[in-house]
Amino acid sequence: MKPPAPAPATAVPPNRDLTAGPAHSLVLALVGSGGDGIALLGDLILAMAARQGLYGVMVQSYGPQIRGGESAAIVRISDREVQYEGDQADVLLCFRLRDLKRFQGSVRLHPGSVALLDREEAGELPDWLGTTQEEPYRFPFARFEDGIEVEGPPKNMLGLGLLCRLLGWPQALAEDALRQRFGDRRERMQANLEALATGLAADGVPSRPAPAGKGRGLFAETGNEAVARGAIAAGLKFFAGYPITPSSEVMETLIEELPATGGRVVQAEDEIAAMGMVLGASFGGVPSMTATSGPGLSLMTEMIGLSSMAELPSIIVDCQRAGPATGMPSRTEQSDLYHAIYGGHGDFPRVVLGVFDVVHAREVMVRAMTLSERFQLPVMVLSDAYIAQRRQIREAETSPRQAATRERWNETSGPARFDLSSAHGVNPFRVPGDVGGTYLAAGIEHNAEGYPTADTATHQLMNEKRFRKLTAIAEETRDAFRTLGEAGATRGLVAWGSSYGLLREWVVAHPEYRIFLPEMLHPFPLEAFTAWRQGLEWTGVLELSFQGQFHRYLSGLTDLRDVKSIARSGGTPLTASELDRYLSEATT
Amino acid sequence: MKAKDLRSSLEPVWCKGCGDFGVLKGLTSALADLEIAPERLAVISGIGCSSRLPGYTRSYAFNSIHGRALPIASGLKLSRPEITTIVVGGDGDGFSIGLGHIPHTVRRNVDITYAVLDNGIYGLTKGQASPTSTEDFKRDRGLAGRGERPLNPVLLVLSSGAGFVARTHAGNLPHLRSMMREAISYAGFSFVHILAGCVTYQGPQYGEAIYQRCDMLPPEYDPTDLGKAMEAAQAERFALGVLYRRPPDATPPWGSGDPATAEGIWPALGSAEAKRELPAQG
Ligand SMILES: Cc1ncc(C[n+]2csc(CCOP(=O)(O)OP(=O)(O)O)c2C)c(N)n1
Ligand code: SF4
Repeated sequence: MKPPAPAPATAVPPNRDLTAGPAHSLVLALVGSGGDGIALLGDLILAMAARQGLYGVMVQSYGPQIRGGESAAIVRISDREVQYEGDQADVLLCFRLRDLKRFQGSVRLHPGSVALLDREEAGELPDWLGTTQEEPYRFPFARFEDGIEVEGPPKNMLGLGLLCRLLGWPQALAEDALRQRFGDRRERMQANLEALATGLAADGVPSRPAPAGKGRGLFAETGNEAVARGAIAAGLKFFAGYPITPSSEVMETLIEELPATGGRVVQAEDEIAAMGMVLGASFGGVPSMTATSGPGLSLMTEMIGLSSMAELPSIIVDCQRAGPATGMPSRTEQSDLYHAIYGGHGDFPRVVLGVFDVVHAREVMVRAMTLSERFQLPVMVLSDAYIAQRRQIREAETSPRQAATRERWNETSGPARFDLSSAHGVNPFRVPGDVGGTYLAAGIEHNAEGYPTADTATHQLMNEKRFRKLTAIAEETRDAFRTLGEAGATRGLVAWGSSYGLLREWVVAHPEYRIFLPEMLHPFPLEAFTAWRQGLEWTGVLELSFQGQFHRYLSGLTDLRDVKSIARSGGTPLTASELDRYLSEATT
Repeated sequence: MKAKDLRSSLEPVWCKGCGDFGVLKGLTSALADLEIAPERLAVISGIGCSSRLPGYTRSYAFNSIHGRALPIASGLKLSRPEITTIVVGGDGDGFSIGLGHIPHTVRRNVDITYAVLDNGIYGLTKGQASPTSTEDFKRDRGLAGRGERPLNPVLLVLSSGAGFVARTHAGNLPHLRSMMREAISYAGFSFVHILAGCVTYQGPQYGEAIYQRCDMLPPEYDPTDLGKAMEAAQAERFALGVLYRRPPDATPPWGSGDPATAEGIWPALGSAEAKRELPAQG
């Protein structure tokens, strides 16, 4: 056996900004009832932060009802790029204490936290919230007549005024953000501006100054928007999809933004049709993709096999949610890994990529497009509800990388469409319209011309040819992973996908750990992983899957004896304190 | 142009006497009549005996998976409007597993022609009942689905709002050819119901017996009258001919029109000159 090669440098230097010391950041937890406009308030704060050149992230949580129930947003603003909202709020804004209950576990206070509550709320903060030594600040958000709450000024705008005072942000910044958002909707603007001014004029608001921004504007987008825009930048020209939480905004963003680039979007009748349309367009030579979540991925499975068999490039974005069946549609999980890597009948090559965060969501689409177009096979991109629905502030993208295009057949270039001898299993693509290029694309096993065969020797050779693509891809993507932490650390964690955001910060406070996160989940960058493991005294595999799918998948690739599986069901993303607890249990 | 210019080198594996031979001949003849060059043609199918047909054509052919030819053809047509796109298949493929795609393809008015060889049986899987098998046939042969009424595909497609619906028989080649020609020339979604028998699982006489139950539509029949078409679709005997032809919509169907101006064509695909060389197809 040849010795493992040294791990290549990661594409993105890990946590360089964080090693300079902890980020100066503030976490705001905003809790209300449906209709209070909590999400809007969070959006506005994030927009105001981005405007000043601050970074930040916002995650939202709803009660069991999608409309009309409780709603919470956690907004973290920071002077460094952050992908994790933290697990302790510095500021809690809550209009009604009883709405808090729903968010037990996702909102916690520390001794220095300050709570902004309604003046009429007599109750105490619940114990599970954690104790703060600060007196709550009370403000008349709700208006009452004869003891009954009546319509008053918008609470979210009163709250925005208070938060501006608290953060030290000027009134003009908030007014600009409101104008950006509401433009010409005058009536609404007037009421909003008045409520904002009322909040700003309040006395005795505690102070929690926001970090200073860079001064130049950054911008915020969600994971789903980033996936859509990354795909457009990579050359997408056809999208078909079917609405499903938490992926629908990929299609919605493309409906807005793809036609301007000459592309087309179809809302199909179901996911089978969506994937069929993708393959039809791809057969036509057009870069195509779909986006879905678990239930849709299950329906697409037969088509994904067809994509691989007929050698038609396709991209399938799966925004994972808690499964199986309907599961918990708006909740995150990492439990579609098996399906992505192994799902479907028969042996067929496919690529599976993981998304780390919103910024990476754009980049990964370029890789997905490059691999699917060049190697003419399905590429699955695993995002999740946590990334998809999160809004994150990022640098504006200056020059997006271009994806490669598929090699086009011409009369002089031409081996048969499925010629067996091609080095990487790929032959030039024949596009309808190419004179002399007609052929049969088939889901049935076929010979070099595409004609049906039941010859076992041909089947074996065709499988070998198709799987040669994976060998070539593995070679080309040896550096498709990230590492965090210092090389000398003796404890290791292996994780994937959205765990990146938490781990990137967590590792700074835990120098005894280093972390390996593959971007390529399949084929897996095994050589680099093996090299990275050298010198570790303890290793754990961390994931949000009850079965520990990632751990089990890795065990099939390499010897994982003595490697611990740290796995739980999804629902909420992992937090730092939870991880500390798991590790103290797992390592003792 | 001759029909054989649109045939591949592959020999059909169909049973001797199978109606699929007629469909292949009628389709390639109609396409030759219309001077459609092989590189401008896509023939797409699902799975079944009849779905083998694309492989026998010289075209950009796609023999996909059971029941899913319509979405695949839609994706192709919507992104490459200049390609004449034909979908062929069987009654199981189209009216059982793939049924859900029909009304949606119709309501998008994708400019493709969908030709179904309806032999009222599953040929490829060796003789199970299909959604169009008659109750008598199922009882006689001891097939599943007794007590389940057969589906009326022509009525279904008409009521979904298709602009062109014709019926023909695989044994009447000149008629089949002219129905295919008219369907392909129609600007918008067109449907051709092709009656046939399966010589192997229904016996050699079955196709002819069905033909005896067919009548040509009378010359005075007005194909623009949807009410009449619905009536004809529900008649005891099978009416052959163009049952319904709606005047083409003011808004061109998806995936039709002049390829040089149609929106949404992948700009990188072929130069403007290449597009101009291709005659515009309805
Ligand atoms: C998902 C799936 N289910 C079942 C089959 C098996 N199958 C192949 S063809 C067919 C039916 C064929 O009947 P029809 O479409 O009427 O075509 P014919 O063979 O009569 O021309 C079936 C059930 C399959 N290929 N895929
Ligand atoms: S089994 Fe029936 S449908 Fe199939 S090829 Fe033979 S005759 Fe035709």
